[in-house]
Amino acid sequence: MAGAYASLASEATGTVPAAVESDHVPHFQETFSQPGHGGQGGQGIPGPNQAWQGYFNVLSYRPYFNVDTVDVTDRIKDSLKVDVGFVEKTSQNPDMYGPFWICSTLVFVTASLGNLAAYLSYKSKTTGGHWHYDINLMSSAALVFYGYVGLVPLALYFLLRYLGVTSGVFQLWCLYGYSLFVFIPASFLSVVPWEIVRWLVVGAASFMSAIFVGGNIRTQIRTANDRWLAIVIGTVATHLALGLVLKFYFFTYFQHDAL
Amino acid sequence: MSGMNNIDHNTSSQSDIDEIESLFHISVQPAALEVPRSVPPARKPSSPPRIPVSAPLLPPSFVSSSNQAFSTPVQSGPTPSTGAGFGGGPQYNTLTEPVRETLKRDLLRVATNLKDVVLPNPYREDPGKALRDWDLWGPFFFIIFLALTLSYSATENKSKVFAVVFATLSAGAIVLTLNVQLLGGSIIFFQSLSVLGYCLFPLDVSALVCQVNNTKLFRSLVVLVALAWSSWAAYPFVSTAVPSSRKALAVYPVLLLYITVGFLVLAND
Repeated sequence: MAGAYASLASEATGTVPAAVESDHVPHFQETFSQPGHGGQGGQGIPGPNQAWQGYFNVLSYRPYFNVDTVDVTDRIKDSLKVDVGFVEKTSQNPDMYGPFWICSTLVFVTASLGNLAAYLSYKSKTTGGHWHYDINLMSSAALVFYGYVGLVPLALYFLLRYLGVTSGVFQLWCLYGYSLFVFIPASFLSVVPWEIVRWLVVGAASFMSAIFVGGNIRTQIRTANDRWLAIVIGTVATHLALGLVLKFYFFTYFQHDAL
Repeated sequence: MSGMNNIDHNTSSQSDIDEIESLFHISVQPAALEVPRSVPPARKPSSPPRIPVSAPLLPPSFVSSSNQAFSTPVQSGPTPSTGAGFGGGPQYNTLTEPVRETLKRDLLRVATNLKDVVLPNPYREDPGKALRDWDLWGPFFFIIFLALTLSYSATENKSKVFAVVFATLSAGAIVLTLNVQLLGGSIIFFQSLSVLGYCLFPLDVSALVCQVNNTKLFRSLVVLVALAWSSWAAYPFVSTAVPSSRKALAVYPVLLLYITVGFLVLAND
């Protein structure tokens, strides 16, 4: 597809690609491959005069934090509404603020609620036993969430590149980061001590999140490659696997025997 | 040091000081930062360039201003020179003063900064103004103290608790500062670290108080009050640093960090 090469060239120079013929399916080149252009008009990292040092300069990442409070809250609402046009909306201005702080909040919330529920379990038991604050929950939560949001989009980006599909790694990070937001309310609801409620809550959250991610990726790569369905199913499956891990490691705290 | 070949290394430091003093009296320039370079240094060559104790990261151009202070050797206490020191305050000749003077001054500065940050005047004209004479000793003490207290009272994994608390606080302060800078705010990196570190003081107090009493209700109240105090102290600084449309984005991570630490204090057995 000559169009792919044209978009690669435009990505390198930061110009807007030529208008394509109208169609109802957005071309992935336009949305996925636009570099973020916050303050400086199409300049990704590193800047033109900086070569490799730009990667170490904090200020060269500023275009990826060019969001206001209303932007972040709108994006969170989109993720809760399972809006499959999310990547298209955020392609011009992918932000790293949302993914990073949603992950950090999740780390804190799952670690503390896990400990809280363990404590409640200890208090409610008539037998003895000793409760201590399990600090390992915090470090393993950090590993799981930061690792997932950091590495899975990167792997997906390289996979798509290998298959010849251009995509933007920052847009993917933005997508995956916001998709994890729904687990925050799910964690709060999972403190309820009934297993069935927990399964329902975590299951619903995982499905919403997985469909959000899968739907967006499907919209973007559907026209680009014949194996798009396999890729979409793969992303949905990894997301559901994350939900399972959360359920079994973090949200398996005490339960009522009645019910 | 090429100029050292001509100097008799056996001269006492007092005669060296007199030599320098006489040379300085000849050239009375206040901006005499260039003079010492042409003068054979009075100190023995084996010693590294003196960096005053209270200014650990002084850039090299200011080292020569410490030579300037040789004009009043040995006797009196601290003599501030005109060079801009670390953190914006006057720089002192910490070489020739007693150690307790240096320590006293540093402790006084920590106390002053603490009062400015944690018990600020609510009617001050610019709530967003940060510490003028910031330093990093205070935050260092507070972080270490909090990590030690929490690790001391933990029943298992003491060293891991210390490591996690210390890492969370120090990495958290750095990340918060970077967050403000990335959102388009303009703050000085170390000054922000300093303010965020001083705002930990109420949580330190609450950790100490929680050692006394172990009931959950009491602990919750104490931690809640300390949290509110810390956030209230940090809020003006962070919120005025970014454009107003992004204020919540800058303030929320501060609240998250202090709530995390508060929870660690609360949940410690």
